[in-house]
Amino acid sequence: MTTNSPGLATAGPSLSKQDAPAPAVAAPGRRRRRIRTTVEAYLLIAPSLAGFLLFLVLPIIGVFVLSLFSWDLVSTPEFVGLANYRRLAGDGAAWTAVGNTVYYVALNIPAQTVLALALALALNRKMRGVKVFRVLFVLPWMAMPVALGIIWTWAFDPRHGAVNHLLSLVGIVGPNWLTSTTWAMPVIASVNVWQYTGYTMLFLLAGLQAIPEQIYEAAAVDGVNAVQRFFKITLPLLRPSMFFVLITNVIGSFQLFDTVFVMTQGGPGTSTTTLNYYIYQQAFQLFHAGYAATLAIVLFVMILLVTAGQFLYFRKRTVYDFS
Amino acid sequence: MLKPTTRRLAATAACAALVGLTAACGGSSSAKAGGTVTLTYMTWQDSEKAAYQASLNEFEKAHPNIKVNLELVAWAQYWTKLQTGAASRNMPDVFWDHLAYLPQLAKEGIITDLSSKIKAANLDTSIYSPKLLAQWQSGSVTYGLPKDWDTIATIYNKSMLAKAGLTADQMNHLTWDPSTGGTFVAALQKLTVDVNGKHPNQAGFDSKHVKTYGIALEAPNGQQDWWDFGLENGCQLQDKAYGKWTVNTPACVQAIQFEQDLRDKWHVAAPGSMTNTPNAADLPTILSKGDAATTFDGDWDLTAFQSAMPAGSWGVSALPSGPAGTGTVFNGLSDAIYAHTKHPAEAWELEQWLASAASEKLVADSGTVWPGIPTLNSGFATAWKAKGVDVTAFQTGSEGNTMGYPLTTSNTTFNNVVLQDFNQVWLGQMTPQAAADDVNTKSNAAITSGN
Repeated sequence: MTTNSPGLATAGPSLSKQDAPAPAVAAPGRRRRRIRTTVEAYLLIAPSLAGFLLFLVLPIIGVFVLSLFSWDLVSTPEFVGLANYRRLAGDGAAWTAVGNTVYYVALNIPAQTVLALALALALNRKMRGVKVFRVLFVLPWMAMPVALGIIWTWAFDPRHGAVNHLLSLVGIVGPNWLTSTTWAMPVIASVNVWQYTGYTMLFLLAGLQAIPEQIYEAAAVDGVNAVQRFFKITLPLLRPSMFFVLITNVIGSFQLFDTVFVMTQGGPGTSTTTLNYYIYQQAFQLFHAGYAATLAIVLFVMILLVTAGQFLYFRKRTVYDFS
Repeated sequence: MLKPTTRRLAATAACAALVGLTAACGGSSSAKAGGTVTLTYMTWQDSEKAAYQASLNEFEKAHPNIKVNLELVAWAQYWTKLQTGAASRNMPDVFWDHLAYLPQLAKEGIITDLSSKIKAANLDTSIYSPKLLAQWQSGSVTYGLPKDWDTIATIYNKSMLAKAGLTADQMNHLTWDPSTGGTFVAALQKLTVDVNGKHPNQAGFDSKHVKTYGIALEAPNGQQDWWDFGLENGCQLQDKAYGKWTVNTPACVQAIQFEQDLRDKWHVAAPGSMTNTPNAADLPTILSKGDAATTFDGDWDLTAFQSAMPAGSWGVSALPSGPAGTGTVFNGLSDAIYAHTKHPAEAWELEQWLASAASEKLVADSGTVWPGIPTLNSGFATAWKAKGVDVTAFQTGSEGNTMGYPLTTSNTTFNNVVLQDFNQVWLGQMTPQAAADDVNTKSNAAITSGN
């Protein structure tokens, strides 16, 4: 956005024409000009602002309002005050879903970030065919999550799936992955790690390439070894990319839905019912739209707190200017 | 999931645009163009599509001013689509209705009471099976005319039966009891083989490496498994229609325990890891792969068995009888008319046609589904006889001890909890008593809370 760019105020011919006859009184003219600048700026961002208000702010307010109602999507909504919030306090399934969501994030984010970083380091070199590898690793991210979910469900089929077949070749009897309350969530997490590592790797790779070569050269002169180089130079200077990647990936992980929907539908039992899937169940299977809105707010607050925490952590430690 | 904010925004915007678009061009998904009315008819069963399309073609021939679009939505999405469709007033004009959802649709006022139309048109409703018609009526209100019926029977692999030394006649007279298992379990033991060719009642049987299970039982809510065992054991799911759930009574829990025992104690039934919704292959696939020798399934799946298995390689027999005798779930569908359709007159024309003897005969004679008009039953049986399959076990079942679908306003909660808990019961991770108690408590609470 270029809302506060000074160029805007003098951009159009109409502006300069109007500016001309008011030089005598400086202060009011400036103020008028400032008002005009503001108005013009708002006019320019109006289309995107309208979209923002209509499709983002309004629905969010809608969700807050809806959380005060009992509604089955068809009948007239009935105002129930804070009843949905009281229900939440006593709803063990909701808190199980919160726990499952946190468990998923804890499985997904560290694995994905470490793998992506390792890949980025490996592919951050001038080597024949490196671009082919970069494309290969990003391919899963470009595929449809639902289609991938179906394919992975086949792969993890206990009797006819590829995974247990490969395990059997080395003498291991694979578990019933997706029907086991122990394994279902790790399988879902691994599918997502597989799918999004390449995407994360892209950002980290860009970050690595932005680190000036001279810093490494200077470090080499000082006799810094590879491990120190990684922890004292690469990692700290990668923080802007890391910051972006972690913020967006953590938010995305908290919102996990599609893989669960395709592969386990929240089961077995409630072992893979993430909060987002539970919201879907409440809204579109049980038709408790008001209660689902309440749960959506819980998810919103969770993400808000975690993201704020990440911001606070990174703000103090991030260097953007390498010069 | 892990998409940058811009992509998410773009997706939201595109989604909103799409929703706007469909709402704008869809309306109530029927339009009048040049005096022709277009109706939408929504169904869920892929295997019945061809027969209903043929019926609709006849209807269009007789009503040149009405066009009907047959829209197929899979069962797993069907009810969500209806509910969201009702919310956005983007509904099919006529659609398949199921007893499990009838009370909810009626309560929400989405479906039309046909009683005055039936009277005005002087329709003879005595042609329908009274048991079926009664389910769609409540007081003076009628929400649908019976279009078909279904029961549950045993489907078996003929060559596996022969290899185990069992005859079709024996299969028709199996009995079970919870303590010894009866002739039913004995037959399943013969049909179950591990990778070394051993049976579960032989020494050295390897329950971890079973090649073929005697039976595969799979049902998201119980219709094709524990409801039938329950009925055969004297269990009632409810104290009365629209009443309290009584799933945790001893007769029901014992029946559920019996099914868990088939898996975990006798090792003759495929484990939950193979049959649990949603990851299980469908029953015709399980049989065609040789993973199981028999199964319980409804007649609506006959076409699927016919296409999954070589012709003549499978047969149908009665369900085993239990301590309380024989028993099967007996259910039927009807067509509902959307209460706010823009074309009530045309929709009623379609409803009458679909429930007419002419249309039901056409559908039954194609071997698609048993008709709601009993005099046409033979057409269905004849169609299957021509394909070499004797399907009379379904009809015998319907004439014996049956239970209808539970009528309740808490169906969605019941389904949800059953799916969650019984998945664990079939994996041996929850006791039948605990599951039954949980299902009962939560489903009854949903009745009182009104949802």
